[in-house]
Amino acid sequence: MKISYNWLKEYCDIPVSPKELAEKLTMLGLEIESIHEPGKNIDNVVVGKILEINPHPQADKLVVCKTDIGKGEPLQIICGAKNMKVGDKVPTALDGATLPGGIKITRRKMRGVESFGMMCSPAELGVADDAEGLMILDPSTPIGLDIREVLGLNDVIFEIEITPNRGDWASYIGLAREICAYYNLPLKIPSFQFFEDDEEAISISNVTIECPELCPRYAGRVIKGVKVAPSPEWLERKLVSAGQRPINNVVDITNFVLLECGHPLHAFDLNKLNEKRIVVRLARLGETIRTLYGEIRELKPDQMVIADGQIPQALAGIMGGADSEVDNNTIDVFLESAYFNPVSIRRTAKAHSLLTEAAQHFQRGADPNIVIWAINRATSLIQRIAGGRVLKGVIDVYPVKMESKIVKLRYERTKKRLGVDVEKQYQKSILTNLGFSIKRETNTEVEVQVPSWRHDVSLEEDLIEEIARFYGYDRIPHTLPKVRQTEVTFDTTFKKLHNIRSFLVNKGLTECFSWTFSNPEIVEELGFPESFLKMVEIQNPLSKNLRTMRTSIIPNILSIAQKNHLEDRLAIFEIGPVFLPNPTDILPDEPQRLCLLLMGYAQPRLWCYQDRKFFDFFDLKGLCEELLDEISVSYKIEKTDFPILHKGQSLKLVVKNEIAGYLGKLNPKISHKLEISENTFIAELYLDKLLASTPKRKIYKEVSEYPSTSRDLAILVDETVDYADIITSLKPIGERVLRKIDVFDVYKGSQVPKGKKSIALSFNFCSNEKTLTDEEINSLMETIINTLTKKFNAQIR
Amino acid sequence: MIAELENIKHTAIAKISTVELLEDLEQIRVEFLGKKGKVTEILKKLGSLPPEERPIVGNKANEIRDFITEAVETKKKELLEKEFQRKLETEKVDISLPGRSLGKGHMHVINRVMNEIVDIFIQMGFQVASGPEVETEYYNFESLNTPSDHPARDTHDTFYIKPGIVLRTHTSPVQMRVMEKTEPPVAVVVPGRVYRVDNDASHSPMFNQMEGLLVDEDVTFADLKGTLMYFVKKFFGEETKVRFRPHYFPFTEPSAEMDISCTVCMGKGCRICKNTGWLEILGCGMVHPVVFSYAGYDNEKYQGYAFGFGIDRMAMLKYAIPSINLLFDNNIRFLEQF
Repeated sequence: MKISYNWLKEYCDIPVSPKELAEKLTMLGLEIESIHEPGKNIDNVVVGKILEINPHPQADKLVVCKTDIGKGEPLQIICGAKNMKVGDKVPTALDGATLPGGIKITRRKMRGVESFGMMCSPAELGVADDAEGLMILDPSTPIGLDIREVLGLNDVIFEIEITPNRGDWASYIGLAREICAYYNLPLKIPSFQFFEDDEEAISISNVTIECPELCPRYAGRVIKGVKVAPSPEWLERKLVSAGQRPINNVVDITNFVLLECGHPLHAFDLNKLNEKRIVVRLARLGETIRTLYGEIRELKPDQMVIADGQIPQALAGIMGGADSEVDNNTIDVFLESAYFNPVSIRRTAKAHSLLTEAAQHFQRGADPNIVIWAINRATSLIQRIAGGRVLKGVIDVYPVKMESKIVKLRYERTKKRLGVDVEKQYQKSILTNLGFSIKRETNTEVEVQVPSWRHDVSLEEDLIEEIARFYGYDRIPHTLPKVRQTEVTFDTTFKKLHNIRSFLVNKGLTECFSWTFSNPEIVEELGFPESFLKMVEIQNPLSKNLRTMRTSIIPNILSIAQKNHLEDRLAIFEIGPVFLPNPTDILPDEPQRLCLLLMGYAQPRLWCYQDRKFFDFFDLKGLCEELLDEISVSYKIEKTDFPILHKGQSLKLVVKNEIAGYLGKLNPKISHKLEISENTFIAELYLDKLLASTPKRKIYKEVSEYPSTSRDLAILVDETVDYADIITSLKPIGERVLRKIDVFDVYKGSQVPKGKKSIALSFNFCSNEKTLTDEEINSLMETIINTLTKKFNAQIR
Repeated sequence: MIAELENIKHTAIAKISTVELLEDLEQIRVEFLGKKGKVTEILKKLGSLPPEERPIVGNKANEIRDFITEAVETKKKELLEKEFQRKLETEKVDISLPGRSLGKGHMHVINRVMNEIVDIFIQMGFQVASGPEVETEYYNFESLNTPSDHPARDTHDTFYIKPGIVLRTHTSPVQMRVMEKTEPPVAVVVPGRVYRVDNDASHSPMFNQMEGLLVDEDVTFADLKGTLMYFVKKFFGEETKVRFRPHYFPFTEPSAEMDISCTVCMGKGCRICKNTGWLEILGCGMVHPVVFSYAGYDNEKYQGYAFGFGIDRMAMLKYAIPSINLLFDNNIRFLEQF
């Protein structure tokens, strides 16, 4: 909302500079978004009168004017505009003038003819966007006058953000009231007068309220014989300063009164109202209304309208109808001033996407007690400006009296809540200055009546806030609270996830952070199993591509890989939730997942890595194994045909018979399609499952003081034999002394028969009781060899 | 034999004095002092000498053995020293070459900051709480004193899943979930993703917030100020100035917004702070009685404060990141900076 400092001064004698006022208002809870001084950068621009317009000898598009600036000889000024005629008065920038945006005007030659200044458009003065032609001033404007004075630019415009609870601030009087309360000044409410005719308004028109709970008060006046015309300049200028477009005097006056006191009014052309009467009611099934600017809107039966004797003529409190609009032919006016239910206005305004000025005021809650003042204020201005006979009496239908709330404040409570002792009398004076009236009081508490414009106050805490605001948030001390602990634990994963993050970062991976939206088409195209397509859908997504919540992080991390495909080495991960619809709950499950991606070379391009290798399955597996060991979880690995992965190089993790993740090489179909390196390896680990199982307890194992001995053994087996099976088969042998088995070579190729592979194992023996003898170890090795020969048909190499 | 010994001594000294390699010196030591060395041989033969000669020859042989031993040791030290010198002179590397590294990992700046902030509050005695991102309107709005027709809903452009279910627009719903679980005292912070229908240069439809809630019998607005000032000074630095302004939130009363002195211009006024010297970073207030009544807390007995702020904004301010979109763009060149 734009507020003019000069205009504001009409309602209170502001004791401080605009800058100080802005700071004070900020500290009272009005956010000043910007401060604009429209005349600040304008200098040496005066009113000039065009005496002559002659063609430019060298340029078709320019003219040479003679302009009288009220002193000395008329100036010769070259101009490119077309909208002026001889006798027009225009803003004229003289030699040495400055204009907004730092533009300096000096005399100079234009196509060979000298120009001694510049005549200005509204845009050049920064007062409007219109840059088409010169700004033509009122013919009565005195020549030579400083343009800042003429246009009222010696002003400060505040752009204020008003919080939704303080609709009462959204007007000049509302704002002035707060300033007066703070500085303890009298509010200067404008006085006015008008003359009522003998003819009774009620004899011409009447008002019926069919829905008093939505419209507790409706007042009207009839003004006959007005002359609709453009508004006088002062009025137009005030509307423009508020960012509004002048329409005609009657409409402008209603808008002016809205700006002034915050109460929306509406003017109907009385003669266009069927039966010349007003019915406030809910719309009937199938009814429509043609609102201002001509749009036809279908009405719903919960929407309040202002109807005449037959049809809706306005969307109550939101927008008037085109059929009863005040236009240049209007003679008789029916003026409306009402109080409408905020919720009803808000619903209807939202339904029609019509958050008009009026609707914004009503939805925040208007002041039911200002209804009559506002209609009389407008009436007086209409009579003054547009003439007309004001019929006698306000038609004031007020079936449901709105009661002011009474709220109790215990003075001690202020200290308890705020942590500062504000003196009793001070507390009371803050409230009374703000318009709260005292209904009852004791030494320890006070009951106050809430002013009719303060819809935001209904509780003791609301009063405490008023006291805090006026006392000053900055004067309240700052203390550190005693934070007491509870036995309830609300979250167990935050630090665990952070530890996983740290672990992976220490392993050299970089963390990503994606939007959790997904596109089901992409998920389908990648070939995810059906279950991944059961998704949480967004009704109003930002775009079709972001219309579901993700069920896997893999599509996110693949798109990151694509985005960074020029990197020859990528080692990244993301931790975050996926969203899985839960048939037994209204909310989906949101388990945490970890997605890892290794792509391209395993080593960076660096002088010391001469022979770089690509990442392979075992880089990823090794990383995951270390992580799982860090988490201390018991798991099994199984073969998988997860379609995102290469079926020969992938596995799934199983924890307590549940899938706890997949890892492996990206299916070459996918890397081909996405045009990323074929050496791409992906894991998605289900952290919810991995972290849910109780970590393996680590228990001390005796450290032997005897030396250990190693024996190597190379065997030849069918290539289908799994390493894990070999190890498992050896487990029972010499369990107490076979400390470790390492596999140090696996070979397939020309050195071994087709269909076979060679595996080289290193066995490490150690006893806790003694140094093992060669004989003992030999006998163990024999058992090992026998087992391998028997179970796997192994040949010793 | 004495003469022979003298001869051995001279030969040994000559050899030792000219030797240049440690291996050769060892050869010499073996030649003279080894098991079959020349001196050793003589000592072995002592038994065959007449008894009266034995001590004389024996003494001489021992003397010469000790002499050669010492000469070898001295030479050895000298050669070792030479060898060390040679190594130090010749085994040079270009120390300016980069070290061998597979590349350092980088935590995402949001999580880095989130963890840092959580740690500050954990030190103060808060614990972390969490809640769902797909949330009911009840928790997201209604129980926070924001019924469906409340104008404050206009400031939350909400993603809807189905009637009554939304993507949470703030972390505040977790307040209610926490309060439903326990009676006061409650001291939690809630970091997490939130969502709003908004996507431009300064807005992302998904972003991160942190909520704080402290409820007990005597928690005051002054405590709220103290807590947040402590946090801001820990996070942005001791010199940071703080200002609280009245504001409006449906779920707190009194409500405030907190500004900090601009981290770019240090409060002098710049483009980032729109020449005000202040940056708005946080909303807060005393928990509204209506919220307590939804939680089943006795407003006469308990009071508390709540606050909420954008983690992304904190990260952006701390690291001078100009646009929120960089945070979720996942360009590796951005990610590797932190």
